[in-house]
Amino acid sequence: MLRFLARRLAAAALLLFLVLSAVFFLIHAAPGAPGDLLTEDRLPHAQRERLRALWGLDRPLSEQYAAWLGAVALRGDLGVSLVHHRPVAAVLAEALPATLLLSGAAFAVNAIAGLALGVAAARRRGRAADHLIRWGSLLLYSLPTFWLGLMAILLFSHFWPVLPAGHLRSVGAEALPAPARLLDLGRHLLLPSLVLGLWLAGATARFVRNGLLEVLEQDYVRTARAAGVPERRVLWVHALRNAAVPVVQVFAVTLPALLGGSLVTEVVFSLPGIGRAGFEAVMTRDYPLILGVTALSAALVIAGTLAADLAHGALDPKVRHA
Amino acid sequence: MRPPLCRLPPWPLAVALAACLAGAGLGIGGCRPREAGEGAPAGTDGAPPAAARPVRGGTAVVGWGSDISGLNELIVPASSVNDEVLFQIFLHLVQEQGDFDEHPPTFEPQLAERWEFSPDRRTLTFHLRDDVVWSDGVPVTAEDVRWTWQAQTHPDVAWGDSASKEGITDVEVVNPHTVRFHFREAYGKQLLEANEGVILPKHAWEKLPFAEWQQGADWFREHLVTNGPFLLQAWTPQQEVVLVRNPRFYDPALPYLDKVVLRVVPDQSAMLAMLRNGEVHFTPSLSATDVPAVRADPDLKLVAYWFKLFVFVAWNNDDPRFADPEVRRALAMSIDRRTIVDSLWGELARIGSSPIVTQVWAHHPRLQPLPYDPQQAKRLLAKHGWRDSDGDGVLDKAGKPFAFELLTNSGNQQRADATVMIQEQLRRIGVEVEPQVLEINALSEQLDDGSFDAALFGYGMDTSLDLHSVFHSRSVGEGNNIARYRNPEVDRLIEEVRRVPQIEQARPQLYKLQEVLHRDQPFTYLWESQRLHGASRRLQNIQSNILFSLFDLEEWWMAPAS
Repeated sequence: MLRFLARRLAAAALLLFLVLSAVFFLIHAAPGAPGDLLTEDRLPHAQRERLRALWGLDRPLSEQYAAWLGAVALRGDLGVSLVHHRPVAAVLAEALPATLLLSGAAFAVNAIAGLALGVAAARRRGRAADHLIRWGSLLLYSLPTFWLGLMAILLFSHFWPVLPAGHLRSVGAEALPAPARLLDLGRHLLLPSLVLGLWLAGATARFVRNGLLEVLEQDYVRTARAAGVPERRVLWVHALRNAAVPVVQVFAVTLPALLGGSLVTEVVFSLPGIGRAGFEAVMTRDYPLILGVTALSAALVIAGTLAADLAHGALDPKVRHA
Repeated sequence: MRPPLCRLPPWPLAVALAACLAGAGLGIGGCRPREAGEGAPAGTDGAPPAAARPVRGGTAVVGWGSDISGLNELIVPASSVNDEVLFQIFLHLVQEQGDFDEHPPTFEPQLAERWEFSPDRRTLTFHLRDDVVWSDGVPVTAEDVRWTWQAQTHPDVAWGDSASKEGITDVEVVNPHTVRFHFREAYGKQLLEANEGVILPKHAWEKLPFAEWQQGADWFREHLVTNGPFLLQAWTPQQEVVLVRNPRFYDPALPYLDKVVLRVVPDQSAMLAMLRNGEVHFTPSLSATDVPAVRADPDLKLVAYWFKLFVFVAWNNDDPRFADPEVRRALAMSIDRRTIVDSLWGELARIGSSPIVTQVWAHHPRLQPLPYDPQQAKRLLAKHGWRDSDGDGVLDKAGKPFAFELLTNSGNQQRADATVMIQEQLRRIGVEVEPQVLEINALSEQLDDGSFDAALFGYGMDTSLDLHSVFHSRSVGEGNNIARYRNPEVDRLIEEVRRVPQIEQARPQLYKLQEVLHRDQPFTYLWESQRLHGASRRLQNIQSNILFSLFDLEEWWMAPAS
């Protein structure tokens, strides 16, 4: 087990290194440079040169790469944002909670709704409910999240104004007592996490349904039924546990989609997460921040996949982490 | 104020552009359809009924597309939101006004209650109010003004706008409330440039060596000391900036509002939803498509005024095909600007004719856009050897067809649409245009190094009317002269305008410049559009103008909910 973990962690570190190196050279190869944007009050040439020197951007790319890599690998130092003039780590630390809140809540919605719908469809295989869930989930998954988000805002903040259209708290909510603050946070998280979670649940439900149907045809299920085990128990205990393995893998596979979707959702619902920070960093060519956001997102995805693998091992005794 | 060249970078510029709609001449809908005169402050639109008295108190929520990027003006990149917010918490010496239509802008006292030039105009003396204190109670003095100038010009601070201080040789503390600026020579922008940048707290911020400023954003946040009408109560990045009334502000009657919360709303549609459900009371970024919804809503009003943005096609003068002014004129005459403006904007925009926009005092009154005359254009092009010699419907010269790429920036539907309309219109005279929409950084790079044919782009007019950056030959590849236009006469006129001690005396040169630029057509102007803000009807005395959307925010007030 420990050896497995060590091997996986080493592989993760290598993967992270490759991703970051690729991004490093890609963003430097992309047209434009920090401070070069053509605006009316753009910096004079001499000024831009001075800033480049100040930021070390005038040195050869290989040297910059070595310096950046050294700082990250040896000191865990992600550098200073060229736009915010503060450590990248501080910018990320501020943005991470919103992203974790959103993707955590969306993940929960995804897991619950995906499982429930998938099981419901499998039980009613071939009947109206099955078709409805299958087509509904396909439709949901094929719609862009920003559109879903805007529709949700239109419905629940405009025509029937019961929920806020964005942000993480109401104006002045910081003065409320803790329970009211929590409730306020929940109200703000509800729409974005439902949008993102249900969107993913579309895919999850289809996986759960198909996995379950496969399992339901196995001999042991027939045996259990023949032995008079109640249908509910057959489904939820015997079948689902065995279908859980592919389902957990689905969750792992959808992690990047969850993070990518949270970027879009952050923009639509005005949430201060790392997706927003990353988008603005790309637009302003804030190299250190782009790399920081990439590192954080990649680490989150790798960690999620690792967790899924461990869960897989726990669920399926056939998988031995040697 | 910064040198009023627009500080919107082009992609927010694109947003601002999209926001430039609805016009003077359009009623705001609802019970008080007052029309804003050209160039009039937008506040006229939302003016309270005569009987209404300002009410003290209340919270206004302002929705903005992007967040501020820091609290020290000298290290944050120039952006509209940074200026709009920082100017609420920090004061300038004087305040440039938005009254550009009849004469150059006037100035109102701010930190300085009065000011005067020496007879030779080489020194400018400001007399500071003696009742202004920093938020920690320390008085604001001439020492702050001098030290601010030292910071602004220090190479380690690397302030983006330090060039505005190049004409200043010294800032002298005469006594605690008198400060004197010494200039190399007399020129038109002395007051503007002396006033450039907010005054910073010497006693608090001199503790951080200049060399550490570029990485010091967190330090300034922790040691924030301000002197404006509002105090910064809280800032949650990418979420909200909370401003509260400064109880020590020198005018005890102001601000009227207790609190202004600037909420960051990156999505335009979400912004409209928030405006309509009352989560947001004011937004500067409305688009043309939002206008009907705002008009139809009895709780909202539209604030519209002619803005300083002008959109044009820049012809790359280094390209031999566009090198001759007559060819550029011919191309201009083949673009049906009336149809473009009418179909993209309706009444919310007008055809441009000059880099000095129509409502500004120095705009050439007799300048007319070149007529739409494709026949004449064809004759002119033929004169320069462009004929359809092989009968394929495309003009050619020396075996090469007249075909070029027309670039524009992504994220702006009007601009993208306009490139396609121009493609269709130029096809009619036998010129092939290939529209290309590029991400703004990629576009910037091509415009900068001259590796493009033609580009549809927009600039905000420099309200000091300095055309150096856009048309002077020294600004090719260095400033904003993307057309790579070089004309010694224009260079001379631009330099003359700069040297005239009072800008209103430069009217003859400014007119002449506009005539030459019109004749030479380095740019073919497409449109000038209106700026559109949406506001709750409860929000009163909105002072938005060509300089700032949140102009004089301390005088805005909120009528009680009915």
